[in-house]
Parts: sequence; C-alpha cells; structure tokens
Amino acid sequence: MAGARRQTASPDTVPPDSRGDTDDALLAVRAAEGDEDAFAVLVQRHAPALLGLAVRLLGSQAEGEDAVQDAFLSAWRRLPEFRGQASFGTWTYRIVTNRCLNVLRARRPAVPLEAAADVPAAEYSTSPARITEARDAVRELREALDLLSVEQRACWVLRELDGQSYEFIADAVGISQDAVRARVFRARRCLTQALGAWR
Amino acid sequence: MTDRTDPPNDTSAHGDDELLPCGRPLSQVWDDWERHPDDTHLHACPHCRDAVRGLDQLETAVRDLRNEEADSALDTTTLTRRVMDLVRLELRPGRPLPLGGPAEDLWVMEAVAARVLRAAVESVTGVRAGSCRLRDLRADETADGAMDQGVAVCLDIHAPAGVSIPYLAEQVRERLLEAADRELGMAIAAVDIRVTDLVPTPADGQEGGAR
Repeated sequence: MAGARRQTASPDTVPPDSRGDTDDALLAVRAAEGDEDAFAVLVQRHAPALLGLAVRLLGSQAEGEDAVQDAFLSAWRRLPEFRGQASFGTWTYRIVTNRCLNVLRARRPAVPLEAAADVPAAEYSTSPARITEARDAVRELREALDLLSVEQRACWVLRELDGQSYEFIADAVGISQDAVRARVFRARRCLTQALGAWR
Repeated sequence: MTDRTDPPNDTSAHGDDELLPCGRPLSQVWDDWERHPDDTHLHACPHCRDAVRGLDQLETAVRDLRNEEADSALDTTTLTRRVMDLVRLELRPGRPLPLGGPAEDLWVMEAVAARVLRAAVESVTGVRAGSCRLRDLRADETADGAMDQGVAVCLDIHAPAGVSIPYLAEQVRERLLEAADRELGMAIAAVDIRVTDLVPTPADGQEGGAR
C-alpha cells in the first residue's frame, strides 16, 4: 500500500494557500470521501463558533469542548450521508445543539417545566443596588440560566444569545415553532423573576 | 422579588401565560413592548411598566453577557488537534486501487490517491476539486469478456469563470495524468471531468497557472 506517503498534517499546519479559500461545500465532499485534511480545515474553521454555542448551552468550557469533540466525530462518521441539504456550518450547529441537549438532559433528569418557573427567589437578588452593576447582573443571569428546563434553556440561548430564527430553533431542537415561542417566553419570565427587579 | 407570590392565573385559563393585575396577559405586554412601544396603556399602567422594566433589565444583562463572551475569545487549537487525532484513528472503509502493472501487487487506498489527484488539478489556476472517485476497471468485465486496464477517474471541479472550459479541462486532465504517473505510478484509463460550478477568478495569480 502506498498509504504511507500521506502527510499527516496537523490542522494548524494545513497550507493556507491550498485550502484556505476552498468553500465548505467542496471540503465537505472531500471529507465525505475520506480526505482527513479537508475535514481538518472544516474543524478549524467551525470549532470557534460551535464551541461558543456549546459553552453557552452548557455553561461550562470543559463540557462544551467535550460536546463539540463528540459532535465533530459524529459528523465525520455521518459525512458520507451528508448530501449538502444544509450548509456544513448549519449541519454541525444542529449536531452540537443535539449533543448539548443530551448532556443537559443527562445532567438533570427531572425538572418539571412549571417548577422551573416557580423556583423561590434567590437570596443574592435581594439587594437592588447590586442589580445596577452590570457584572453582577451578568453573573446572576448565568446562575439563573440553571433554573431553566433543558428545552427552555436551549431555546432561549439559541434565540437570545445566538439570534436564531424560531424556524431554525424548531428544526434544531425538534419541536414546533409554537413550542419554541412558548419556551422562550417561559425562560424570559423565569429569568426576569430571578434577576429580581420585578415583584 | 422579595415578596414575589405565585401568579394567581398561571397555567389556568392562559396556559403558560399569566394575567397582570390590569387584566393584560404578560406575553402580550412583552410582545406589544417590542412591536408597539408607543402603546399608551403600557406607559400609563404601573403593572405593565413593571413587567416591561423587568424585560428591559433582562435584555441589558443579556447584552452584557454577549459582550463578555465576545471579549473572551475561546482558543480552539487544542480542541481541533484532539478532534483530528481521533478522526485519524478512525478506520474508514475504503477501496484499494491497483498501482503499477498487472503483475505487481501494489495498492493504494482510494482516499489517498484522490487527495494526490485533487492537489494536482488544483495547481491549475482557479480550479478547485470536489468529489474525486476512482474505479478499478480490472474489476469490470466488458461485454466481450475482455478486461480494461487501469483506473477510471470521475472528478468534479469548480472552474474559474471566463476561462475556456475545454482548454481548462485539457489542463486539468494533463496535471492529473502527470501526478497519477509520477506520484502514484497509477495507470489511468479514463478521466471524466464534471464542472459543477463557475467561480469568479481569484485576484492573485500565485498558483500554478499554465506551464
């Protein structure tokens, strides 16, 4: 076999002139046919956005990295079935979202949706003066995100932090658009209550 | 928040919604605030104003959260390397293709040969290679029972716009045959080229070009 002449270029040493301007669709086709270097370019290109998404969904960098790693491996295995119906970016975005949903579900098996909205006021939110501090508000927001149910959190993050359309979220999470709207609403209600200014 | 009580109308007549003391559902108040901020009731009603203030406060915190995240760019170098190490360990079923003459027992995996051929055709200015399938003709029996020799290549390319396609195809074929011969030692019986897209010519002409 002549396989030995393959250069195992590490992803950060891929020559920029040869693939830097090659579009995702072509790279995905090559990767589907077993070209690891093409896949390396795709990973390099999309890892930052996907890791950002995973960290936003999971609230943890380490878990986010694991989720993105699993998602890319799954993408590599499923690439031969990827027919380019969506862009590679959208396709992997969905895979990461699903992976994160599974992680979140495994993390908290049973938080009833309604209970999430009725979590008692946390003590840290009692001082109105602190709320005016942006940093405190952000910290409180991060903590409050843990009060949300898995689906509420996913829908809210995709909508409010990633700016996705309801249609896109419905597709990514696998529920109807109305269900997405309802979850975003519940999440907002829960978060406004937790941030403490109201009532 | 200290004296928060559970909304009395929650989950009954209004499903997930809740009615403010002024009789308006919370979801509608928030919706109106985003779509019709000049609604006079919203400004006059203390309950609606409270509800809207909560939403505003949340949105401020969300903006700050987004800014914080934008400031702390995540380093993905290690992650990328980890992913690719695992990918390269994965066994992908692939087809072996013959190299050299019929008497030789020398083979190359299709994905490896395809990578060499793609790189070769991309030395033609503006050409980008996509799918590159290779087929061992020795495995195909022709109608009269005779066997073809060599490998048939089916190549998809993106071609630069404004360049004669027959001329380009000739160059692509030339580079491909040259690489197959010199780098792989593979006998090519046929090269089918499919132009799947025309792309604007790159401004810089640093790549191969006509030789």
